[in-house]
Amino acid sequence: MSTDEFERFWRRIKEIERRILESFREEEERILKELEEIRKALMPSWSYEGYLRPLYTMRDLGSEYVLYIDLPNADQGSIDIKFKGNTILIRAKLRTKHKFSEWSGQGGETVFTEYRDVITLPFNIDPNCVSLRQRKGMIELRIRKPKRA
Amino acid sequence: MMFREVDFGEFRLTEYKYFRMKEPAYALLAMPDTGLVGVIGANHLIKVLNLEEVGGVDSYVYLPPIAVISKKEIRLPIRIFASDNLLVVYSEFMPPPQAFPTLSKVLLDYFERKGVSHVLMASGLAVQNRFELDQLKTYYITTKPEVEEVLKGVGAQPFENGFLVGPYALMLKEALRAEMPVTLVMTESFLEFPDPEASAKNLEALSKVIGITVDVKELIERAEAIRMRARDAMKAVMPSLTRMRKEYEYSMPLNI
Repeated sequence: MSTDEFERFWRRIKEIERRILESFREEEERILKELEEIRKALMPSWSYEGYLRPLYTMRDLGSEYVLYIDLPNADQGSIDIKFKGNTILIRAKLRTKHKFSEWSGQGGETVFTEYRDVITLPFNIDPNCVSLRQRKGMIELRIRKPKRA
Repeated sequence: MMFREVDFGEFRLTEYKYFRMKEPAYALLAMPDTGLVGVIGANHLIKVLNLEEVGGVDSYVYLPPIAVISKKEIRLPIRIFASDNLLVVYSEFMPPPQAFPTLSKVLLDYFERKGVSHVLMASGLAVQNRFELDQLKTYYITTKPEVEEVLKGVGAQPFENGFLVGPYALMLKEALRAEMPVTLVMTESFLEFPDPEASAKNLEALSKVIGITVDVKELIERAEAIRMRARDAMKAVMPSLTRMRKEYEYSMPLNI
């Protein structure tokens, strides 16, 4: 085998390796997304500790993730978003407190004062690669994916 | 408490009392769908028109084993409210797709027996840029040409090309087969979040078709409170929307 042939052969091997790794990553992301959906579905939307979990949705746009987080009745000035590894920690105070008993016969004397949740992404988040917009009690987070080596 | 029960396949339709509809009679179907637009609007309509709960639909096979408790009364998962000439079928629970054909037939058969002359359905139409939108467009699909002028009068446009996924798609097809006048009114909305603003716009169009005046100001003013309260209903319906491939509505059709 000549050097040229060997290089072509090696490039093809590397290309196959890249595609296999890519499909593994895609499958990993899909499984993580499904697990996240199951976690979200099983988790109650409120806690006796007095917080509500907000609804959110995540879209993979290729080079970035877009998250929409619904925070109705949240005090816009109190919205606190922190990034730690591959997680987003959200907290926001409610403008007015709500008793669970206003909405249902259960829940006892639980009073909700804030939103709180942790959202997991399939990659570590660089806070410098995040942009945020707020509108009508909703937050849009655009998170650029890290460049792969 | 129970006036009459009718079994239809795996569904049981119950009426709590005897009632007759005046002509022209309308039926509004509100299932949990895109942005809960229909459900939020129907809820508002039931409240402002003070509609009486007259019956319900249940299925031990197709619906979750749920009893709705409302004002200390035990109610069925799919609830029926009525006034003189308006029936509202309201559900916060989405049956699985395999139940849609039978449920469509059960409801259309019931509407026909009640003398309903026009079936209306309310839904959201998911748009990807809803976050930016202030002016929401309303679209309609109808088999009753005379309502087109009324809908155009409130700025609604015909839905000309695209796909519909879910119970309304089946209802439209079954209504067409049964030659029953049916109109689906859809307003641009979020897919995954309760959207009371879209419900208000949607209800404005629907009320014109029915010929009633419904004040939707409260839906706008209390939008954030409604969004807070509707979180669980939205969360419960999302797995069904995902399973029935609701995102297919975003697709561009090849058809002409």
